[in-house]
Amino acid sequence: MASLSSKNSFSKFYSWLPIFILFISVLNEFDFNYLGLDYFSFNFPFILIFFFSLKEFKHFDYLLVFIAGLINDTVVGLPLGISSLSYCLICAATSYLRNITIRPHLIKDWFYFLLIISLINSLNYSVLNLFFSYNLNLINYLINNFFTFLFYLFFVNIFNLYLKGLND
Amino acid sequence: MASSRDDFIIAIRSAFLKKSTQQKFSLLTLVFLSIFIILLSSLNFKVIKYLKIGINEIVYRSSFLVSLPENFLKDTFIGISDYTTFFNDYKKNKVELNKLKSNNVSSEIIEFENKELKELINDYISSSNKILAKIIVDHDSPFLKSIIINKGSKDSIKIGTNIYDQSYLVGRVIEVNYKTARVLLLSDLNSNVPVTISPENIQAIITGTGGNHGQIKYMKDGFSDNLTNQSIIYTSGTGAIFKSGIPIGKLKVKENELTKRFEVEFYSDFSQLKYVFAEIIVKTSIESSSEKDANIETPTPFNSKLKILEDELKIVEDTKLKFKEENENLKKEINILNSEILNSKKELSSQKKTIDQFNIDKDELKFLKLNLKYGHKCRKSFFNSKGFLVDSPEYKNCVLTKGRIING
Repeated sequence: MASLSSKNSFSKFYSWLPIFILFISVLNEFDFNYLGLDYFSFNFPFILIFFFSLKEFKHFDYLLVFIAGLINDTVVGLPLGISSLSYCLICAATSYLRNITIRPHLIKDWFYFLLIISLINSLNYSVLNLFFSYNLNLINYLINNFFTFLFYLFFVNIFNLYLKGLND
Repeated sequence: MASSRDDFIIAIRSAFLKKSTQQKFSLLTLVFLSIFIILLSSLNFKVIKYLKIGINEIVYRSSFLVSLPENFLKDTFIGISDYTTFFNDYKKNKVELNKLKSNNVSSEIIEFENKELKELINDYISSSNKILAKIIVDHDSPFLKSIIINKGSKDSIKIGTNIYDQSYLVGRVIEVNYKTARVLLLSDLNSNVPVTISPENIQAIITGTGGNHGQIKYMKDGFSDNLTNQSIIYTSGTGAIFKSGIPIGKLKVKENELTKRFEVEFYSDFSQLKYVFAEIIVKTSIESSSEKDANIETPTPFNSKLKILEDELKIVEDTKLKFKEENENLKKEINILNSEILNSKKELSSQKKTIDQFNIDKDELKFLKLNLKYGHKCRKSFFNSKGFLVDSPEYKNCVLTKGRIING
Protein backbone atom coordinates (compact mmCIF):
# COMPACT_ATOMS: atom_id res chain seq x y z
CA MET A 1 0.00 0.00 0.00
CA ALA A 2 2.83 2.33 0.99
CA SER A 3 4.76 1.51 -2.15
CA LEU A 4 1.66 2.24 -4.22
CA SER A 5 1.28 5.65 -2.61
CA SER A 6 4.97 6.50 -3.11
CA LYS A 7 4.71 5.34 -6.74
CA ASN A 8 1.69 7.59 -7.13
CA SER A 9 3.44 10.64 -5.70
CA PHE A 10 6.46 9.95 -7.89
CA SER A 11 4.33 9.79 -11.03
CA LYS A 12 2.62 13.02 -9.95
CA PHE A 13 6.00 14.69 -9.51
CA TYR A 14 7.15 13.26 -12.83
CA SER A 15 4.15 14.68 -14.65
CA TRP A 16 4.80 18.14 -13.16
CA LEU A 17 8.53 17.95 -13.91
CA PRO A 18 8.57 20.40 -16.87
CA ILE A 19 6.99 23.17 -14.80
CA PHE A 20 9.28 22.33 -11.91
CA ILE A 21 12.34 22.56 -14.19
CA LEU A 22 11.03 25.80 -15.67
CA PHE A 23 10.85 27.37 -12.20
CA ILE A 24 14.29 26.08 -11.26
CA SER A 25 15.76 27.39 -14.51
CA VAL A 26 14.33 30.87 -14.08
CA LEU A 27 15.41 31.02 -10.43
CA ASN A 28 18.82 29.62 -11.15
CA GLU A 29 19.38 30.72 -14.73
CA PHE A 30 21.44 27.64 -15.48
CA ASP A 31 23.28 28.57 -18.61
CA PHE A 32 26.89 27.66 -17.73
CA ASN A 33 27.89 31.32 -17.60
CA TYR A 34 30.38 30.51 -14.85
CA LEU A 35 32.48 28.56 -17.35
CA GLY A 36 33.49 31.99 -18.58
CA LEU A 37 33.15 30.97 -22.22
CA ASP A 38 33.02 34.03 -24.40
CA TYR A 39 30.22 34.12 -26.91
CA PHE A 40 28.23 31.35 -25.29
CA SER A 41 24.80 31.64 -23.75
CA PHE A 42 21.41 30.15 -24.43
CA ASN A 43 17.88 30.59 -23.18
CA PHE A 44 16.68 27.32 -21.73
CA PRO A 45 13.18 28.53 -20.70
CA PHE A 46 12.45 29.47 -24.33
CA ILE A 47 13.19 25.90 -25.48
CA LEU A 48 11.21 24.32 -22.66
CA ILE A 49 8.17 26.56 -23.06
CA PHE A 50 8.16 26.22 -26.84
CA PHE A 51 8.35 22.42 -26.72
CA PHE A 52 5.78 21.70 -24.03
CA SER A 53 3.41 24.36 -25.25
CA LEU A 54 3.65 22.91 -28.76
CA LYS A 55 2.89 19.45 -27.40
CA GLU A 56 -0.03 20.92 -25.43
CA PHE A 57 1.27 19.25 -22.32
CA LYS A 58 -1.54 18.95 -19.81
CA HIS A 59 0.31 20.30 -16.76
CA PHE A 60 1.80 23.23 -18.62
CA ASP A 61 -0.43 25.98 -17.25
CA TYR A 62 -0.07 29.38 -18.94
CA LEU A 63 -0.52 31.11 -15.61
CA LEU A 64 2.47 29.27 -14.19
CA VAL A 65 4.48 30.20 -17.27
CA PHE A 66 3.44 33.80 -16.73
CA ILE A 67 4.59 33.64 -13.06
CA ALA A 68 7.86 32.06 -14.17
CA GLY A 69 8.36 35.10 -16.41
CA LEU A 70 7.83 37.44 -13.47
CA ILE A 71 10.39 35.51 -11.45
CA ASN A 72 12.87 35.62 -14.32
CA ASP A 73 12.50 39.41 -14.53
CA THR A 74 13.13 39.74 -10.83
CA VAL A 75 16.21 37.54 -10.89
CA VAL A 76 17.75 39.08 -14.00
CA GLY A 77 16.82 42.64 -13.03
CA LEU A 78 14.63 43.45 -16.00
CA PRO A 79 11.46 45.54 -15.71
CA LEU A 80 8.65 43.33 -14.38
CA GLY A 81 6.50 41.78 -17.09
CA ILE A 82 9.01 41.66 -19.97
CA SER A 83 9.79 37.95 -19.70
CA SER A 84 6.16 37.11 -18.93
CA LEU A 85 5.18 38.80 -22.16
CA SER A 86 7.89 36.90 -24.05
CA TYR A 87 6.83 33.56 -22.60
CA CYS A 88 3.15 34.21 -23.28
CA LEU A 89 3.99 35.19 -26.87
CA ILE A 90 5.89 31.92 -27.31
CA CYS A 91 2.85 30.05 -26.02
CA ALA A 92 0.61 31.98 -28.44
CA ALA A 93 2.97 31.28 -31.36
CA THR A 94 3.05 27.56 -30.60
CA SER A 95 -0.69 27.52 -30.23
CA TYR A 96 -0.96 29.15 -33.67
CA LEU A 97 1.48 26.60 -35.13
CA ARG A 98 -0.57 23.79 -33.67
CA ASN A 99 -3.71 25.22 -35.24
CA ILE A 100 -2.23 25.49 -38.73
CA THR A 101 -0.21 22.24 -38.72
CA ILE A 102 -1.74 18.98 -39.79
CA ARG A 103 1.42 16.88 -39.89
CA PRO A 104 4.08 18.13 -37.42
CA HIS A 105 7.69 17.96 -38.58
CA LEU A 106 10.71 18.48 -36.34
CA ILE A 107 12.76 20.56 -38.80
CA LYS A 108 9.81 22.83 -39.56
CA ASP A 109 9.21 23.28 -35.85
CA TRP A 110 12.90 24.01 -35.39
CA PHE A 111 12.98 26.82 -37.94
CA TYR A 112 9.67 28.16 -36.69
CA PHE A 113 11.31 28.24 -33.24
CA LEU A 114 14.17 30.29 -34.70
CA LEU A 115 11.71 32.75 -36.20
CA ILE A 116 9.77 33.11 -32.96
CA ILE A 117 12.77 33.55 -30.66
CA SER A 118 14.29 36.03 -33.09
CA LEU A 119 11.10 38.06 -33.07
CA ILE A 120 10.78 37.90 -29.30
CA ASN A 121 14.42 38.81 -28.70
CA SER A 122 14.06 41.73 -31.11
CA LEU A 123 10.95 42.85 -29.26
CA ASN A 124 12.76 42.54 -25.91
CA TYR A 125 15.75 44.46 -27.19
CA SER A 126 13.59 47.22 -28.66
CA VAL A 127 11.41 47.63 -25.57
CA LEU A 128 14.39 47.69 -23.20
CA ASN A 129 16.36 50.03 -25.39
CA LEU A 130 13.62 52.44 -26.42
CA PHE A 131 11.33 52.57 -23.40
CA PHE A 132 13.67 51.76 -20.54
CA SER A 133 16.92 53.22 -21.96
CA TYR A 134 18.90 50.05 -21.25
CA ASN A 135 22.25 49.76 -23.00
CA LEU A 136 22.39 46.22 -24.34
CA ASN A 137 24.87 44.43 -26.51
CA LEU A 138 23.15 43.30 -29.70
CA ILE A 139 25.89 40.74 -30.38
CA ASN A 140 25.07 39.01 -27.09
CA TYR A 141 21.44 38.77 -28.15
CA LEU A 142 22.39 37.30 -31.53
CA ILE A 143 24.71 34.75 -29.93
CA ASN A 144 22.07 33.80 -27.40
CA ASN A 145 19.54 33.44 -30.20
CA PHE A 146 21.87 31.26 -32.23
CA PHE A 147 22.79 28.89 -29.39
CA THR A 148 19.18 28.64 -28.22
CA PHE A 149 18.30 27.63 -31.77
CA LEU A 150 21.13 25.07 -31.88
CA PHE A 151 20.34 23.55 -28.51
CA TYR A 152 16.68 23.10 -29.42
CA LEU A 153 17.29 19.80 -31.20
CA PHE A 154 19.33 18.43 -28.32
CA PHE A 155 16.72 19.29 -25.72
CA VAL A 156 13.85 18.11 -27.93
CA ASN A 157 15.35 14.63 -27.89
CA ILE A 158 15.61 14.70 -24.10
CA PHE A 159 12.04 15.99 -23.74
CA ASN A 160 10.77 13.31 -26.13
CA LEU A 161 12.42 10.70 -23.94
CA TYR A 162 10.66 12.25 -20.97
CA LEU A 163 7.28 12.12 -22.74
CA LYS A 164 7.93 8.54 -23.76
CA GLY A 165 8.68 7.69 -20.14
CA LEU A 166 5.49 9.41 -19.05
CA ASN A 167 3.36 7.48 -21.54
CA ASP A 168 4.93 4.20 -20.48
CA MET B 1 -7.69 34.52 -50.86
CA ALA B 2 -10.43 35.61 -48.48
CA SER B 3 -10.67 32.11 -47.16
CA SER B 4 -6.95 31.90 -46.36
CA ARG B 5 -7.16 35.24 -44.54
CA ASP B 6 -10.12 33.93 -42.58
CA ASP B 7 -8.16 30.81 -41.69
CA PHE B 8 -5.27 32.95 -40.48
CA ILE B 9 -7.58 35.09 -38.34
CA ILE B 10 -9.32 32.03 -36.95
CA ALA B 11 -5.96 30.43 -36.10
CA ILE B 12 -4.71 33.59 -34.43
CA ARG B 13 -7.96 34.08 -32.50
CA SER B 14 -7.92 30.49 -31.43
CA ALA B 15 -4.29 30.78 -30.32
CA PHE B 16 -4.94 33.77 -28.13
CA LEU B 17 -8.45 33.11 -26.85
CA LYS B 18 -8.98 29.35 -26.74
CA LYS B 19 -8.56 27.82 -23.33
CA SER B 20 -8.00 24.12 -22.94
CA THR B 21 -9.40 22.36 -19.93
CA GLN B 22 -6.21 22.81 -17.90
CA GLN B 23 -5.82 26.55 -18.55
CA LYS B 24 -7.39 29.04 -16.18
CA PHE B 25 -6.59 32.13 -18.24
CA SER B 26 -6.48 32.74 -21.98
CA LEU B 27 -3.18 33.87 -23.46
CA LEU B 28 -4.68 37.22 -24.47
CA THR B 29 -5.51 37.96 -20.82
CA LEU B 30 -2.00 37.08 -19.77
CA VAL B 31 -0.44 39.14 -22.56
CA PHE B 32 -2.49 42.17 -21.52
CA LEU B 33 -1.64 41.52 -17.89
CA SER B 34 2.06 41.48 -18.79
CA ILE B 35 1.78 44.79 -20.64
CA PHE B 36 -0.17 46.24 -17.71
CA ILE B 37 2.56 45.14 -15.28
CA ILE B 38 5.29 46.59 -17.51
CA LEU B 39 3.48 49.95 -17.55
CA LEU B 40 2.83 49.89 -13.81
CA SER B 41 6.43 49.04 -12.95
CA SER B 42 7.66 51.91 -15.10
CA LEU B 43 5.28 54.37 -13.44
CA ASN B 44 6.76 53.76 -9.98
CA PHE B 45 3.60 53.77 -7.85
CA LYS B 46 4.15 53.38 -4.13
CA VAL B 47 1.93 50.29 -3.88
CA ILE B 48 3.71 48.70 -6.85
CA LYS B 49 7.05 49.60 -5.31
CA TYR B 50 6.21 47.79 -2.05
CA LEU B 51 4.78 44.85 -3.97
CA LYS B 52 7.94 44.66 -6.03
CA ILE B 53 10.09 44.80 -2.88
CA GLY B 54 8.06 41.91 -1.45
CA ILE B 55 8.41 39.84 -4.62
CA ASN B 56 12.13 40.62 -4.80
CA GLU B 57 12.71 39.50 -1.22
CA ILE B 58 11.00 36.16 -1.80
CA VAL B 59 12.47 35.56 -5.24
CA TYR B 60 16.05 36.45 -4.27
CA ARG B 61 15.97 34.10 -1.29
CA SER B 62 14.42 31.33 -3.38
CA SER B 63 16.97 31.93 -6.11
CA PHE B 64 19.76 31.68 -3.54
CA LEU B 65 18.43 28.31 -2.35
CA VAL B 66 17.84 26.96 -5.84
CA SER B 67 21.30 28.11 -6.95
CA LEU B 68 23.06 26.19 -4.16
CA PRO B 69 23.83 23.07 -6.26
CA GLU B 70 25.01 25.16 -9.23
CA ASN B 71 27.05 27.37 -6.92
CA PHE B 72 28.66 24.24 -5.49
CA LEU B 73 29.62 23.16 -9.00
CA LYS B 74 30.82 26.66 -9.80
CA ASP B 75 32.95 26.82 -6.64
CA THR B 76 34.43 23.42 -7.36
CA PHE B 77 35.29 24.47 -10.89
CA ILE B 78 36.87 27.72 -9.72
CA GLY B 79 38.64 25.89 -6.87
CA ILE B 80 40.24 23.41 -9.24
CA SER B 81 41.39 26.11 -11.64
CA ASP B 82 42.73 28.10 -8.65
CA TYR B 83 44.85 25.19 -7.43
CA THR B 84 46.71 25.06 -10.72
CA THR B 85 48.03 28.57 -10.22
CA PHE B 86 48.20 28.43 -6.44
CA PHE B 87 51.97 28.49 -5.89
CA ASN B 88 52.70 31.23 -8.39
CA ASP B 89 49.93 33.31 -6.91
CA TYR B 90 51.34 32.77 -3.43
CA LYS B 91 54.78 34.00 -4.46
CA LYS B 92 53.33 37.00 -6.23
CA ASN B 93 51.11 37.82 -3.28
CA LYS B 94 54.02 37.62 -0.85
CA VAL B 95 55.99 40.21 -2.78
CA GLU B 96 52.94 42.40 -3.13
CA LEU B 97 52.15 42.12 0.58
CA ASN B 98 55.58 43.38 1.56
CA LYS B 99 55.21 46.27 -0.83
CA LEU B 100 51.78 47.10 0.53
CA LYS B 101 52.94 46.97 4.13
CA SER B 102 55.51 49.62 3.44
CA ASN B 103 52.95 51.77 1.65
CA ASN B 104 50.41 51.43 4.40
CA VAL B 105 51.97 53.90 6.82
CA SER B 106 52.30 56.66 4.27
CA SER B 107 48.80 56.06 2.98
CA GLU B 108 47.42 56.47 6.49
CA ILE B 109 49.02 59.87 6.74
CA ILE B 110 47.79 60.82 3.27
CA GLU B 111 44.31 59.66 4.18
CA PHE B 112 44.28 61.87 7.18
CA GLU B 113 45.55 64.86 5.21
CA ASN B 114 42.93 64.18 2.57
CA LYS B 115 40.19 64.10 5.17
CA GLU B 116 41.39 67.37 6.59
CA LEU B 117 41.53 69.06 3.18
CA LYS B 118 38.10 67.80 2.26
CA GLU B 119 36.78 69.24 5.44
CA LEU B 120 38.18 72.60 4.41
CA ILE B 121 36.56 72.42 0.96
CA ASN B 122 33.16 70.94 1.83
CA ASP B 123 30.53 72.19 4.18
CA TYR B 124 30.02 68.77 5.61
CA ILE B 125 32.00 65.96 7.13
CA SER B 126 31.29 62.54 5.84
CA SER B 127 31.97 59.67 8.13
CA SER B 128 31.74 56.28 6.50
CA ASN B 129 31.21 52.84 7.80
CA LYS B 130 31.74 49.75 5.69
CA ILE B 131 29.50 46.79 6.29
CA LEU B 132 30.13 43.30 5.04
CA ALA B 133 27.51 41.88 2.69
CA LYS B 134 27.19 38.41 1.24
CA ILE B 135 26.36 37.93 -2.41
CA ILE B 136 23.29 35.75 -2.56
CA VAL B 137 22.60 35.82 -6.29
CA ASP B 138 25.22 36.17 -9.00
CA HIS B 139 24.25 34.66 -12.32
CA ASP B 140 26.89 36.44 -14.38
CA SER B 141 24.33 37.04 -17.10
CA PRO B 142 25.76 38.14 -20.45
CA PHE B 143 23.09 40.85 -20.71
CA LEU B 144 23.01 42.57 -17.35
CA LYS B 145 25.94 42.49 -14.97
CA SER B 146 24.46 42.73 -11.52
CA ILE B 147 24.58 40.93 -8.19
CA ILE B 148 22.21 40.67 -5.23
CA ILE B 149 23.56 41.26 -1.72
CA ASN B 150 21.98 40.30 1.59
CA LYS B 151 21.84 43.84 2.97
CA GLY B 152 19.02 46.27 2.32
CA SER B 153 17.21 49.32 3.67
CA LYS B 154 17.23 47.66 7.10
CA ASP B 155 21.01 48.11 7.13
CA SER B 156 20.86 51.71 5.85
CA ILE B 157 21.69 50.76 2.27
CA LYS B 158 20.43 53.36 -0.17
CA ILE B 159 20.27 53.68 -3.94
CA GLY B 160 23.73 54.78 -5.00
CA THR B 161 25.60 53.18 -2.08
CA ASN B 162 29.13 52.37 -3.21
CA ILE B 163 30.10 48.71 -3.11
CA TYR B 164 33.68 47.54 -2.64
CA ASP B 165 35.74 44.41 -2.95
CA GLN B 166 38.40 45.10 -0.25
CA SER B 167 39.21 48.70 -1.15
CA TYR B 168 38.42 48.42 -4.87
CA LEU B 169 35.19 49.75 -6.30
CA VAL B 170 32.92 47.12 -7.84
CA GLY B 171 29.67 49.01 -8.39
CA ARG B 172 26.75 50.81 -6.83
CA VAL B 173 23.33 49.89 -5.51
CA ILE B 174 20.48 50.42 -8.00
CA GLU B 175 17.60 48.73 -6.21
CA VAL B 176 16.96 48.45 -2.49
CA ASN B 177 14.64 46.03 -0.74
CA TYR B 178 14.19 45.51 2.98
CA LYS B 179 16.89 42.88 3.41
CA THR B 180 18.42 42.66 -0.05
CA ALA B 181 19.77 45.03 -2.69
CA ARG B 182 20.81 44.83 -6.32
CA VAL B 183 24.27 46.09 -7.25
CA LEU B 184 25.06 47.22 -10.78
CA LEU B 185 28.63 46.14 -11.49
CA LEU B 186 31.14 48.42 -13.21
CA SER B 187 31.34 45.92 -16.07
CA ASP B 188 27.69 46.46 -17.02
CA LEU B 189 26.97 48.38 -20.21
CA ASN B 190 24.77 50.77 -18.24
CA SER B 191 27.46 51.69 -15.74
CA ASN B 192 29.20 55.06 -16.21
CA VAL B 193 31.83 56.22 -13.75
CA PRO B 194 33.66 59.57 -13.74
CA VAL B 195 37.34 58.83 -13.19
CA THR B 196 40.79 60.36 -13.04
CA ILE B 197 43.64 58.72 -14.91
CA SER B 198 46.91 59.04 -13.04
CA PRO B 199 49.76 60.11 -13.40
CA GLU B 200 48.55 62.00 -16.50
CA ASN B 201 45.77 63.53 -14.38
CA ILE B 202 43.14 63.24 -17.12
CA GLN B 203 39.43 63.30 -16.35
CA ALA B 204 37.38 60.65 -18.14
CA ILE B 205 34.27 58.50 -17.99
CA ILE B 206 34.53 54.75 -18.07
CA THR B 207 31.76 52.38 -18.97
CA GLY B 208 31.30 48.63 -18.81
CA THR B 209 31.49 46.42 -21.86
CA GLY B 210 29.38 43.54 -20.63
CA GLY B 211 32.60 41.52 -20.43
CA ASN B 212 35.31 41.38 -17.79
CA HIS B 213 36.80 44.77 -18.58
CA GLY B 214 35.69 48.36 -18.99
CA GLN B 215 36.48 50.98 -21.58
CA ILE B 216 37.04 54.69 -21.67
CA LYS B 217 33.98 56.28 -23.17
CA TYR B 218 34.76 59.94 -22.89
CA MET B 219 37.73 62.15 -22.08
CA LYS B 220 37.54 65.75 -21.07
CA ASP B 221 39.97 67.03 -23.72
CA GLY B 222 39.46 64.28 -26.27
CA PHE B 223 41.35 61.02 -26.50
CA SER B 224 44.97 61.73 -25.76
CA ASP B 225 48.11 59.99 -26.98
CA ASN B 226 49.81 60.72 -23.69
CA LEU B 227 48.02 57.89 -21.97
CA THR B 228 50.30 55.02 -21.13
CA ASN B 229 49.75 51.40 -20.31
CA GLN B 230 49.29 50.60 -16.63
CA SER B 231 48.13 54.12 -15.72
CA ILE B 232 46.06 53.97 -12.57
CA ILE B 233 42.35 54.74 -12.76
CA TYR B 234 40.42 55.93 -9.72
CA THR B 235 37.12 57.69 -9.15
CA SER B 236 37.19 61.46 -9.51
CA GLY B 237 34.08 62.04 -7.43
CA THR B 238 32.55 64.24 -10.13
CA GLY B 239 28.78 64.19 -9.96
CA ALA B 240 28.88 62.93 -6.36
CA ILE B 241 27.74 59.46 -7.45
CA PHE B 242 30.93 57.80 -6.34
CA LYS B 243 33.34 58.89 -3.63
CA SER B 244 36.59 60.28 -4.96
CA GLY B 245 39.90 58.44 -4.87
CA ILE B 246 38.61 54.87 -4.98
CA PRO B 247 40.86 52.64 -7.09
CA ILE B 248 39.13 50.94 -10.02
CA GLY B 249 41.74 49.43 -12.29
CA LYS B 250 44.61 49.90 -14.67
CA LEU B 251 44.61 51.29 -18.17
CA LYS B 252 45.39 49.00 -21.08
CA VAL B 253 46.10 50.61 -24.42
CA LYS B 254 45.20 48.29 -27.27
CA GLU B 255 46.55 49.40 -30.57
CA ASN B 256 46.24 48.05 -34.05
CA GLU B 257 46.92 49.58 -37.46
CA LEU B 258 43.70 51.53 -37.63
CA THR B 259 42.39 52.06 -34.14
CA LYS B 260 43.56 52.65 -30.63
CA ARG B 261 41.35 51.43 -27.81
CA PHE B 262 41.62 52.31 -24.14
CA GLU B 263 40.47 49.45 -21.97
CA VAL B 264 40.24 49.28 -18.21
CA GLU B 265 41.47 46.18 -16.45
CA PHE B 266 39.53 46.08 -13.18
CA TYR B 267 41.47 45.33 -10.00
CA SER B 268 38.66 43.15 -8.79
CA ASP B 269 37.49 39.95 -10.51
CA PHE B 270 33.73 40.38 -10.56
CA SER B 271 33.06 36.77 -11.45
CA GLN B 272 34.58 35.52 -8.20
CA LEU B 273 33.03 37.84 -5.68
CA LYS B 274 31.58 36.20 -2.59
CA TYR B 275 31.51 39.00 -0.07
CA VAL B 276 31.56 42.74 -0.66
CA PHE B 277 31.60 45.85 1.49
CA ALA B 278 28.82 48.41 1.34
CA GLU B 279 29.82 51.88 2.43
CA ILE B 280 27.26 53.65 4.56
CA ILE B 281 27.97 57.36 4.51
CA VAL B 282 26.64 59.71 7.14
CA LYS B 283 26.94 63.37 6.23
CA THR B 284 27.15 65.93 9.02
CA SER B 285 27.15 69.60 8.07
CA ILE B 286 29.78 71.90 9.57
CA GLU B 287 28.51 75.12 11.06
CA SER B 288 30.10 78.43 10.06
CA SER B 289 31.76 80.38 12.88
CA SER B 290 28.83 82.77 13.22
CA GLU B 291 26.38 79.91 13.33
CA LYS B 292 28.59 78.24 15.84
CA ASP B 293 28.47 81.22 18.14
CA ALA B 294 24.74 81.46 17.84
CA ASN B 295 24.12 77.81 18.32
CA ILE B 296 26.33 76.57 21.07
CA GLU B 297 23.67 74.26 22.50
CA THR B 298 23.77 71.94 19.49
CA PRO B 299 27.39 70.91 19.34
CA THR B 300 27.15 67.93 16.95
CA PRO B 301 29.20 69.34 14.03
CA PHE B 302 31.58 70.90 16.53
CA ASN B 303 31.96 67.54 18.16
CA SER B 304 32.70 66.04 14.78
CA LYS B 305 35.42 68.59 14.20
CA LEU B 306 36.69 67.98 17.68
CA LYS B 307 36.74 64.30 16.89
CA ILE B 308 38.84 64.98 13.80
CA LEU B 309 41.24 67.04 15.89
CA GLU B 310 41.36 64.29 18.47
CA ASP B 311 42.11 61.84 15.70
CA GLU B 312 44.82 64.15 14.46
CA LEU B 313 46.25 64.39 17.95
CA LYS B 314 46.13 60.65 18.29
CA ILE B 315 48.02 60.17 15.04
CA VAL B 316 50.60 62.80 16.07
CA GLU B 317 50.98 61.15 19.47
CA ASP B 318 51.31 57.76 17.88
CA THR B 319 53.95 59.05 15.49
CA LYS B 320 55.75 60.76 18.40
CA LEU B 321 55.67 57.56 20.38
CA LYS B 322 57.07 55.65 17.45
CA PHE B 323 59.88 58.18 17.02
CA LYS B 324 60.60 58.10 20.74
CA GLU B 325 60.80 54.38 20.73
CA GLU B 326 63.08 54.46 17.74
CA ASN B 327 65.23 57.10 19.46
CA GLU B 328 65.57 54.95 22.58
CA ASN B 329 66.61 52.03 20.48
CA LEU B 330 69.23 54.12 18.70
CA LYS B 331 70.57 55.45 22.01
CA LYS B 332 70.92 51.95 23.35
CA GLU B 333 72.74 50.96 20.24
CA ILE B 334 75.12 53.93 20.54
CA ASN B 335 75.88 53.03 24.19
CA ILE B 336 76.64 49.48 23.24
CA LEU B 337 78.93 50.66 20.46
CA ASN B 338 80.71 53.11 22.80
CA SER B 339 81.41 50.44 25.37
CA GLU B 340 82.68 48.19 22.61
CA ILE B 341 85.08 50.95 21.46
CA LEU B 342 86.31 51.43 25.04
CA ASN B 343 86.98 47.77 25.45
CA SER B 344 88.86 47.69 22.19
CA LYS B 345 90.97 50.68 23.25
CA LYS B 346 91.86 49.02 26.54
CA GLU B 347 92.80 45.90 24.79
CA LEU B 348 94.90 47.87 22.34
CA SER B 349 96.84 49.71 25.07
CA SER B 350 97.50 46.50 27.00
CA GLN B 351 98.79 44.90 23.81
CA LYS B 352 101.00 47.96 23.22
CA LYS B 353 102.41 47.65 26.72
CA THR B 354 103.14 44.02 26.16
CA ILE B 355 104.90 44.83 22.92
CA ASP B 356 106.97 47.59 24.63
CA GLN B 357 107.90 45.25 27.43
CA PHE B 358 108.85 42.66 24.94
CA ASN B 359 111.06 45.20 23.09
CA ILE B 360 112.72 46.23 26.34
CA ASP B 361 113.28 42.63 27.27
CA LYS B 362 114.69 42.02 23.83
CA ASP B 363 117.24 44.94 24.15
CA GLU B 364 118.20 43.78 27.61
CA LEU B 365 118.78 40.27 26.36
CA LYS B 366 120.86 41.57 23.49
CA PHE B 367 123.01 43.67 25.91
CA LEU B 368 123.49 40.74 28.24
CA LYS B 369 124.55 38.51 25.41
CA LEU B 370 127.05 41.10 24.09
CA ASN B 371 128.19 41.84 27.67
CA LEU B 372 129.20 38.22 28.09
CA LYS B 373 131.14 38.39 24.87
CA TYR B 374 132.67 41.89 24.90
CA GLY B 375 132.33 43.00 28.55
CA HIS B 376 136.00 42.36 29.31
CA LYS B 377 137.02 44.76 26.49
CA CYS B 378 134.97 47.66 27.91
CA ARG B 379 135.41 47.16 31.67
CA LYS B 380 138.04 49.39 33.37
CA SER B 381 140.72 47.22 35.00
CA PHE B 382 144.35 47.07 35.76
CA PHE B 383 145.18 45.94 32.27
CA ASN B 384 142.56 48.02 30.51
CA SER B 385 142.90 51.63 31.53
CA LYS B 386 140.75 52.83 28.59
CA GLY B 387 137.70 50.99 29.83
CA PHE B 388 134.64 52.33 31.64
CA LEU B 389 132.90 51.79 34.91
CA VAL B 390 130.41 48.84 34.66
CA ASP B 391 127.10 50.74 35.22
CA SER B 392 128.00 53.81 33.17
CA PRO B 393 126.26 54.54 29.86
CA GLU B 394 129.67 54.61 28.12
CA TYR B 395 130.20 51.00 29.18
CA LYS B 396 126.79 50.05 27.79
CA ASN B 397 127.57 51.81 24.49
CA CYS B 398 130.89 50.06 24.30
CA VAL B 399 129.29 46.62 24.85
CA LEU B 400 126.61 47.34 22.26
CA THR B 401 129.27 48.39 19.71
CA LYS B 402 130.96 45.08 20.39
CA GLY B 403 133.91 46.45 22.46
CA ARG B 404 134.87 49.34 20.22
CA ILE B 405 135.82 52.29 22.33
CA ILE B 406 134.55 55.50 20.78
CA ASN B 407 136.23 58.58 22.13
CA GLY B 408 134.32 61.69 22.66
